[in-house]
Amino acid sequence: MKSVLAAIAVALPLLAACGDANQRLVNNDEYGDYRRSAARNRPQGASAGLVVFGVDKDREARDAAAGGTGLSVNAYLWRATLDTLSFMPLASADPFGGTIITDWYSPSGAGNERFRAQAYVMGRQLRSDGVRVQVFRQTLERGQWVDSPVSTSTNSDMEDKVLARARELRSQSASR
Amino acid sequence: MRKILLGTTAVVGAALLAPSMAAAQEAPTVRIGGFFRAYYGNTQQSGRTSTTPSGLANNATGATANLAQSNVNGVPTTESNVGAPATAISTTTAGAGEVARLSKNDFSTDAEVHVFVNGKTANGMSYGAVIEIAFNQQEGRNIVQQRASTGKTTASIDEYYAFIASPTWGQVRFGDEDGPVGGLMNSGVITNFGTGGVYGDRESFVSRQANVRTTTSPGGLGDNTKIIYLSPQFFGFDFGASFAFNYGVGEDTGCPTNQSSGWCDSSYAFTGASNFGIAAAGPEMSARRNEYQAALRWRGSLAGVGLSFTGGYVGSGAARELSPLSVQRRVFQDLGVMQFGAQATAYGFTVGAQYEHGKSNFFWGNLLTGDRPMDQTFVGASYTAGPWTFGANYVMQTVEGASRTAYGYNAAGALTLSPNAAGAALMRRLGYGIGGNYRIAPGMDIVAEYSSYTIAERGRDLDPSNAGVQDRQTAKVFILGTRLAF
Repeated sequence: MKSVLAAIAVALPLLAACGDANQRLVNNDEYGDYRRSAARNRPQGASAGLVVFGVDKDREARDAAAGGTGLSVNAYLWRATLDTLSFMPLASADPFGGTIITDWYSPSGAGNERFRAQAYVMGRQLRSDGVRVQVFRQTLERGQWVDSPVSTSTNSDMEDKVLARARELRSQSASR
Repeated sequence: MRKILLGTTAVVGAALLAPSMAAAQEAPTVRIGGFFRAYYGNTQQSGRTSTTPSGLANNATGATANLAQSNVNGVPTTESNVGAPATAISTTTAGAGEVARLSKNDFSTDAEVHVFVNGKTANGMSYGAVIEIAFNQQEGRNIVQQRASTGKTTASIDEYYAFIASPTWGQVRFGDEDGPVGGLMNSGVITNFGTGGVYGDRESFVSRQANVRTTTSPGGLGDNTKIIYLSPQFFGFDFGASFAFNYGVGEDTGCPTNQSSGWCDSSYAFTGASNFGIAAAGPEMSARRNEYQAALRWRGSLAGVGLSFTGGYVGSGAARELSPLSVQRRVFQDLGVMQFGAQATAYGFTVGAQYEHGKSNFFWGNLLTGDRPMDQTFVGASYTAGPWTFGANYVMQTVEGASRTAYGYNAAGALTLSPNAAGAALMRRLGYGIGGNYRIAPGMDIVAEYSSYTIAERGRDLDPSNAGVQDRQTAKVFILGTRLAF
C-alpha cells in the first residue's frame, strides 16, 4: 500500500504539471471545512468578512463596475472612450446616458474630408460589447460637404481601441 | 526509461520556474470573519444521570497530579485519574463518589472569529494564512480550587495554517488543518441542513457518561499539524495528500513537566501508551504517529446533474508501550482506513453516500493488536428551495467494542497482556438526523433538527454509573436555534 501511495504521490504532481486549458486552480472554498464534527457555514469562503487591513480588491472591482465615481456607466469604458476620441473636438459628453459626441474634425493633410464620431457606453459591466462607436464621414465636393461612406472596419477598429485602453486602465488600477 | 524520467523532470522544472501568468501584484489584505450560534436543546439520553459511584475518569485531581506519570493501583500510567477512587467527596469538584441528575433542557452558545490573510505576487501566486480563534477551549469545567479555575469559554486556536497556491502546481498548506480525507475533499457526506444532522452540533448537549456522542465523522480525524499538498484541477480531477508526524497541535513540545513523557508531542514510545488509542480530547493527545492521507476527487456534470466522487486513504503508525524497564512493545495496529464517497446534485436535491473500511476504532484511533476492523456506511440527502433547506442523514458503523486484550504492568515493571474474554462482541453504532434551516438574512439562519444516536454491544455494561448492565444506550437531541456566519 505504501509503495503504491508513494508512486501516486510522485506521479500525480508530474501529471498536474503538464496541464493545459483543462487545468485550473481549485479555489479555497471548494474544500470542505469542518469544525470537529459539524461543517461550518461560511458564506463566501476566504473572501467573506470585513477587511481590516489592506485594499479590498473585490469591493474596488464592484465599485468600479458600478461606477462608484458617480457615473452610471462603467468607469473604465467611459474613461477609455474619452481618451480614444480625445484627438477630436468634443461636442457633448453625457456620463449618465453614456453618450459622447464629437464635433467635425479634419485630419491635417486631408482638408477635403472630415469625420465625426458618436460613442455609446452601455451598462456598468466591463464587457467587450459594452461600447459602440459610430463614425461619420463627409467629403468636400464642389464647395459642399457631402455624406460619404466609411470603411466597414472603422467602427469596430475604434471599438477595439476603446476596449484596449479600458483594459489598460483596469490593469493599472488593479496594480495600485 | 531514464531518458523519459529526465525529460519529465526537465518539463516539470520548467513549468515550476516559468512565470506562469502576468498578474498584478496585490498587497495582502486581512479580513475578519467567523460565526456565532445559539441553540436550545432538548436531550433524552439513557445514561444521562449517574446513580452509582463508579471508577470512570473524573478529572477531579489537581493539574499536577493529572499530568504526572504515576502509579495507580500499582500500574504506571500517564492517566493517573482513570479508575482512581476519589479521595474525598468535595463540595467544589465532581468526583467519582458523587452522583447527579441532569435536566433535559439547556441552552448552548458557540462562536469563532476567523482571520484571513490573502495576497498575490506579481507572477500570479496567491498566498496567505488562516487563523481561527475558538471559544470552546474546554468541554468540562476546570476548577482546581475555589478561586482557581479556567472559564469554559477561554479563547483557543481551532485551526491555523499558511498557504501558497499557483494555478500551475496547486496549493501547499502548512499548519493545523484538516487533511484531504479528514474534511477537505470528501464526497457524499451530506451535512448542509440543520446543524449537520447526526454529524451536527448535537454533541453540545449529550454528556459522555455512556459515550453516546462520539461519531467517526471526517472532521473527527483531527487538525493536527500537517503539511498538505492540493493539486490543481485537471479534466475534473484533483487530488490531495498530507503528512503529520504525530497528533500534536500548536507551538512547543507539549511536555507538561521537566521530564519527557508520553504527553510530549513527538514521543514515539512511552509508558501507558495503550491508554491512548482513543484521543484524549482536552490535551489533544493520541497514540497516532506518522499519519498520511491521500485523496483523489472528480467533479463534473452529466446532463445537468452535478457529480462528485472521492476515494481516499488514511494511514498511520502508533506509539509503542515503553515499560519502566525501557523495553518497547508494539501494542497497536497501524491505522489504515479507505474511504469512498459519491454525491449528485440536481434541481436543488443533493444525495450522497460514503463507505469506509479499515483498521480504526470508533474515533479514528489505532486499534489494539488483535481487534477487528471498522466498517461504516453514511447516506444523506438534502433539498434546497429558495431560503429553505431540508435534509436527513444516517450512519451505521460496526466496530470493535471492548478491546480483546488488556495491557498492564506487573510489580516488576514488565508489560502484561491478558486476553479479555468479554471483549469479543461487536459494537454497533447507529445514528440519524433530520432537520432544516430557513435563511432569514444573508448568513443568518434559523435551524431546527432532531437526531438520535445509539450504541450497542451485547453483554457489555456501557454505563457503569448506573446499576445493572446497560448494553444499549441512546441519546436523542432536538435543537432549535439560530446561526450567523459572517
